Amino acid sequence: MSRTFVDMAGGRLSLSNLEKDLYPSYGFTKANILEYYRRIALFILPHLKDRALTLKRYPEGVGKDFFFEKRCPSHRPAWVKTAEIPQDDGERMTVCLVNDLETLIWAENLASVELHVPLARAGSPGTPDAMVFDLDPGEPASILDCGRVALILRDLLSRMGLVSYVKTSGQKGLHVFVPLNRKDTTFEDTKTFSKAVAEIMQKHYPGVVTAKMAKQERKAKVFINWSQNDASKTMICVYSLRARERPLVSFPLEWGELEKLAGLGDPEKFQITHSEGIRRTEEKGDLFRDVLVKEQKLSHL
Amino acid sequence: MAVQGIWSGTISFSLVAIPVRLVTAVKPGHVSFHLLHNKDYSRLSRRMFCPEEEIMVTPDEIIRGYEIVPDKYVLMTDEELESVSPERSRTIEILEFIDMKEVDPLYFDHPYYLVPSKGGEKAYQLLVEVMRRTNKAGLAKFVLAEREYLVAVTSKEGALELITLHYSDEILPDEDISPKKETIEAEEENRMKKSIEQMIEDFDPGKYADGRRKKLMDLLATKVKEKTLVEAPPIGEEEGEGPADLVAALEESMRKVKEGR
Repeated sequence: MSRTFVDMAGGRLSLSNLEKDLYPSYGFTKANILEYYRRIALFILPHLKDRALTLKRYPEGVGKDFFFEKRCPSHRPAWVKTAEIPQDDGERMTVCLVNDLETLIWAENLASVELHVPLARAGSPGTPDAMVFDLDPGEPASILDCGRVALILRDLLSRMGLVSYVKTSGQKGLHVFVPLNRKDTTFEDTKTFSKAVAEIMQKHYPGVVTAKMAKQERKAKVFINWSQNDASKTMICVYSLRARERPLVSFPLEWGELEKLAGLGDPEKFQITHSEGIRRTEEKGDLFRDVLVKEQKLSHL
Repeated sequence: MAVQGIWSGTISFSLVAIPVRLVTAVKPGHVSFHLLHNKDYSRLSRRMFCPEEEIMVTPDEIIRGYEIVPDKYVLMTDEELESVSPERSRTIEILEFIDMKEVDPLYFDHPYYLVPSKGGEKAYQLLVEVMRRTNKAGLAKFVLAEREYLVAVTSKEGALELITLHYSDEILPDEDISPKKETIEAEEENRMKKSIEQMIEDFDPGKYADGRRKKLMDLLATKVKEKTLVEAPPIGEEEGEGPADLVAALEESMRKVKEGR
């Protein structure tokens, strides 16, 4: 194993196997991954901050075995910030908080290609900052169908007085976020609301949308997964790389762009690669910034 | 992929420090089952129940109490517990070398292997060899998952083993167990000695297996082949109208959306 040492504000980090190609069918080494996260850090860190990180580690590369780590590894450096979060059985679990560049680089050195976080911060695990609709296409439906459904969803939410934001999942789907940022909104609220929305969508667009999780119901339709609105669930963080053949990222799109993409009809055009992601953030900044700050209230509950 | 260690750090004494990883040495053969609801095969989850109020209690309402006398508790916060936890440490510090024969197996708790980390292979081999020749075990203190353990590090067939030991105050006294002295006839003693001698063998644990486990695994394999599987329903599937007010507002909004398209 080769090692490289870097000195960072938080302490000295030993980086291992930088030359290892973790996306072998594309050619993207661990050094490339670290470089991507270093350059995107300014934009991704606010979205990771104070949230219990789930590491999804691919030590042998993206096609190979991976493992989830919810517990913060005991071999973490002393400067890695952690939180104790309650579990269902009442026991506490120590989790990592990625609040600075050092911790981000440390986590990436563990080959945690994908960064997953809950919708709530560790300090207030019952209060989601956002409500989410996870649009997942069932074959042969594609991200293109998700795009069309997302636009209807945007209009419906807008009529309900709610502004929403959309990002690619970096895989096949889209994620629609409704910022809330209110202390009095619970997961019970977001679940009730999102489920009712998904069911209305299914009722009015039965050929295109399903709100049911069962696999056979999802064929050729867009599944609006509202059940992600749960304290125990995590979502791929915006700007995180995905462990697919190519280093695609989960990336925000402007609604206007989504309208254009839906009109173009090419599912491939929805995808944002690592380099495109860097270019866009440098040009437009964080299109998901409002998700963290905009206050909105769910009505009729 | 290399074995995933559950801890990594160094094993050290005097001027020696060898980077090692701790890996588990036993996988208990226990076959575990999930508890399902017999009506719909849902996985059952555990919830904490308050018998007084007859309600389920959420994690943020759960605190710890140490029972002093029945129904009287001293409360303990996370911070207080944290304050007595040992500092996290990256070393297995050998305090003394002992003869393993002096350790009553009652003290043995859980066995692990120590695997050399990159760069530590040579020093590791040397320690393995010297400990084998001197026939000594290292007695060490070591912090794992918020607990400080007393451990014995031994050399076995080219590798280091680590076994966590119980502390002496965890061992229960045996004074009530051995009966009062009775006179033993020489003939009785000889007879028993002979029976034992006739049954002496070399220790070969491979001769024995957990019969129930073997039968259970065979039974499971058969049932899987016969495809007698049941499937849990996807969670939260019950088709339910949301709050009437919300559904009405959504219907109204949806009507406008459709008009606008």
